[in-house]
Amino acid sequence: MSSSHDKPVDPNQVVLWSDDYEGHDVISTRTFGFWMYILSDGMLFATLFAAYGVLSYSHSYYTGPTPAQFVAPWYTFIQTMALFLSVLAYGFSMASLKTGSKAGVINGIIASMVLGIVFVGLDIHDVLRMLSIGVTPEVSGGLSAFYALTQVHAAHIFVGLIWMLVMLYQILRKGFTEDVVGRLISLRMFWQFQAVMWVFIYVFVYLWGYMS
Amino acid sequence: MSHGHSNPIEHPEVQMASRGSYLTGFIIASLLMLAATILVSGQVLAPFPLLLTIMGCAGLAAIAQIYFLLHIDISEHNIWNTVALVMFIPLFVITIGLTWWMFSQLYLRTMPMIPGMPGMH
Amino acid sequence: MLVNVPGPWSPFLGRLALSEIPYTNPILAPLFVVIVLAGIALVAAITYYGKWGYLWKEWFTTVDHKKLGVMYIILGLVMLFRGFIDGLMMRTQQMLAVGPGDNGMKAMGAIHGYLTPFHFGQIYSAHGLIMILLAATPLLVGIMNIIVPLQIGARDMAYPYLNALGLWITAAAVFLIMISLFIGDFSHNGWFGYAPIFELAYSPGVGVDYWIWTLELVALGTTLGSINFLATVVKMRAPGMTWSRLPIFTWSAVSANIIALTSFPCLQVALALVGADRYLGTHFFTAGFGGNLMLYTNLFWLWGHPEVYFVILPAFGMISEIIPAFSEKPIFGYTAMVLATFAIAGVSWIVWLHHFFTMGMGPYVSTEFSIATMLVGIPTGVKVFNWAATMYKGRLTFSAAMLWAIGALFLLLIGGLTGMMLSIPAVNYMVHNSVFVVAHFHMMLLCIVYAVFGAVIFWFPKVFGFKLHEAWGKIMFWLFSAGTFLVFFPMFMLGFMGETRRLDWPFDPHWAVWFDVQEIGIVVYVLSVLAFLWMIYVSIRDRAHHRVGADAWGTSRSLEWLTDSPVPFYNYAMVPHINARDEAAWRREHGFSESRPDHFAAIHMPNNTGVAVYIGALTFVIGFGLTWRIWWLTVAALILTVLIMIYRSGKGDPGYVISAEEMEKLDRESRQNMSDGQQHLPKGGGYTGGTVTAYSAEASDQRPQGTPPGNSRPLS
Repeated sequence: MSSSHDKPVDPNQVVLWSDDYEGHDVISTRTFGFWMYILSDGMLFATLFAAYGVLSYSHSYYTGPTPAQFVAPWYTFIQTMALFLSVLAYGFSMASLKTGSKAGVINGIIASMVLGIVFVGLDIHDVLRMLSIGVTPEVSGGLSAFYALTQVHAAHIFVGLIWMLVMLYQILRKGFTEDVVGRLISLRMFWQFQAVMWVFIYVFVYLWGYMS
Repeated sequence: MSHGHSNPIEHPEVQMASRGSYLTGFIIASLLMLAATILVSGQVLAPFPLLLTIMGCAGLAAIAQIYFLLHIDISEHNIWNTVALVMFIPLFVITIGLTWWMFSQLYLRTMPMIPGMPGMH
Repeated sequence: MLVNVPGPWSPFLGRLALSEIPYTNPILAPLFVVIVLAGIALVAAITYYGKWGYLWKEWFTTVDHKKLGVMYIILGLVMLFRGFIDGLMMRTQQMLAVGPGDNGMKAMGAIHGYLTPFHFGQIYSAHGLIMILLAATPLLVGIMNIIVPLQIGARDMAYPYLNALGLWITAAAVFLIMISLFIGDFSHNGWFGYAPIFELAYSPGVGVDYWIWTLELVALGTTLGSINFLATVVKMRAPGMTWSRLPIFTWSAVSANIIALTSFPCLQVALALVGADRYLGTHFFTAGFGGNLMLYTNLFWLWGHPEVYFVILPAFGMISEIIPAFSEKPIFGYTAMVLATFAIAGVSWIVWLHHFFTMGMGPYVSTEFSIATMLVGIPTGVKVFNWAATMYKGRLTFSAAMLWAIGALFLLLIGGLTGMMLSIPAVNYMVHNSVFVVAHFHMMLLCIVYAVFGAVIFWFPKVFGFKLHEAWGKIMFWLFSAGTFLVFFPMFMLGFMGETRRLDWPFDPHWAVWFDVQEIGIVVYVLSVLAFLWMIYVSIRDRAHHRVGADAWGTSRSLEWLTDSPVPFYNYAMVPHINARDEAAWRREHGFSESRPDHFAAIHMPNNTGVAVYIGALTFVIGFGLTWRIWWLTVAALILTVLIMIYRSGKGDPGYVISAEEMEKLDRESRQNMSDGQQHLPKGGGYTGGTVTAYSAEASDQRPQGTPPGNSRPLS
């Protein structure tokens, strides 16, 4: 397809200007861009995992406690279920969006928020427990990495909850405009991705930490 | 900044949501996490096979979520998201994998051998 | 949770205190006075000419990618100048300080030369950070911002508001590092930082904190920008613009932004963990308590290596546009060039350890990274050969832009070959941390600077409607090249002679003569900067005589040359339909270059917004508050930022519509403006496009009509 001396062009047939170009798809442009942001966020987690991998040898915990000594797998499993149910609730909310049912969407988001708050609450409770028994990030590099990975994820969940609150407000105020729908889809991807990240954190930080 | 669709609800990315799909993803991921937790807290396997097993659980759960929840497939509406993810996955592997290899080699050469020290390699 | 800082801290002012202002420093105190006076003069001038409204409405609140790009470039040029001054100070210090004994200027408080080690450490740290991230990156992002939407036939980027946000966040980072001159000190740890020196115990001042937050802000701005570029190219190409017709500069922008998107998060994490160590007392990188010093180096260079490819790939793209235009040939081996670009981007991800071969991972690891580093030479070589092949049997015009592009190739050659030397661990062990490495990467970075200067000259007429002064552009080129030669060739030798990096006291007298040569080089650089400033002045003064049409050089090839010069704010009145790669050349060769749309449609444009400026300013406040540990300020600014974001999200931007009749009027005015500016030119052919080139189908042995493209004569 070079701009070279190819076949002669009929001036009557050539199309130089686009008459019927409707413009780009606004919603999918938004969601694609947001997905790229989510992937860069995944890279952030990958880097934290790399740091955690280096700092989870036995000498990384210096003389302090190791995860085997303070992780409670079944407690964290309940956290896992809270998060997965929250993601499911939001998914159902998006399914209600297909028919434009405001009530369905709002109820789904509220359920998702409640479960998300349960997750964050369980996390805070766990952190307070750990802090009270001297498991703090200042004790060792290993614990610093443990806290970084788990709490960065929790911070993402917290931001997601605020976002859900804002979306509830926007749905009530503006209805399902192009921008609002685009944001709801972006939030779905964000929320579901946090669940994927949690799978890896749960298995490699909590469970494997408990094992070693 | 032109626009096309009249009703945003009819956009393909809205219409591709599916209760069944989300429920399937939820069930698969939950069961895998349950299995991993049972195996770890019950300590039924030796450490290394146990590690491999829960790694497998994590991998499968992630794949299930990526397919059922995030709609990562090669349909026309999702292809670019899929392309982007496929581009990132090797980078995740490289970041974590090469770092791990680098440091395990370093420790091998620079750490004194203490009896009973569990190694990652 | 929060560590106790060494030194005073108050709840209201954090670590801020009057003693942190270096009013006794013999260099900074007068500089501060000069800057305040200049600032007052600037504000007074703007007020006198009544331009505040204009500035706010047309520039500060704009979301137009072209204006944002221009502001990025201005920011980059200002920081290039500041970074150059830092370099000048380092060269002078080393020249004066050579030799044993106590030879310093007592008046300046220095034991050697004229700078104290305390000051010298900040200068080389700031020089590196500024040049890479606050000069080169904004220059490249600015050029990509202007050109990429034009090259794909779009009216703006995918996210205009996010675009503006990226600019103002970068400006906040610039502000933060500039203010570190006068309040507190800057980092002494080099631009990339060393563990554990950057820990609070060994760097108790605020310098490292300034460094952390400046980098974090820049990383944020660049990541947002990369999402924008990728979404734009994927989603907003004009009809007919298939991937195989994408201009090669846009391809390089895509690959560079893929690198940015994937690698900047690593930097953000690395720096955040340093911040955690300094603020929260964690032990990521401490020497003890389970910390790992090398982990920092690993995480930093995980970003650091892809970063340098992020800056060089757009430069390659610029060279790939300039050379075909001034060789009157399409780029040789388009597909190979595109594949090579992505090969470089891909390989750049697996080589980062070559920045710390000496850290002891052993032969297996070093071998993999060494071989991967050498692999990158293959696609780079493909590109160099293809540029040469493009020029081969072309009708070459050695305009100023072409000189810069060819000069960039020479620097790439030297930098690349020395890079291949460095990729061999055995060699690397010998020259690690010597100025041989410094000379190597300056060759690469100057390749980028050359490409940027060439691109600025090349695309300036498109954006502003008139050409820059050719002769002064060439004078600047030769002076700059002489300076480059004199400063950096001796540096390779000095590296082999054993000079290490960052020496405030280069003690070996054998080096003295080379420092003198380098100082001459710096003087030549200063002359080139003056030539640059004079070129800008003369070009603006005489702009009426250098107006151009759509095809400014007469032999331009890619799509952006279809637009009027200067480009109207809507870019294209009607979105073009793309028929070939190098659409402008295709239209010229088939006789359609004078064609304009005969009917118009309404278009939808985004509104200006002040929100981006406010959020940018708030990110500066957050960075400043974090640096000085003024917690109430930080939290307040953070909350305010979130609230403004939520407010903006709720308000949205419906944009505004320009009707079809209005579009027709605007298009007519734009065309009139362009042809009015060219009253002084001969009619027919020449600069208005329609030039028959030696390679068009109709011109087998016809002479080209009108005056030759560019106002330069072949070198004789």
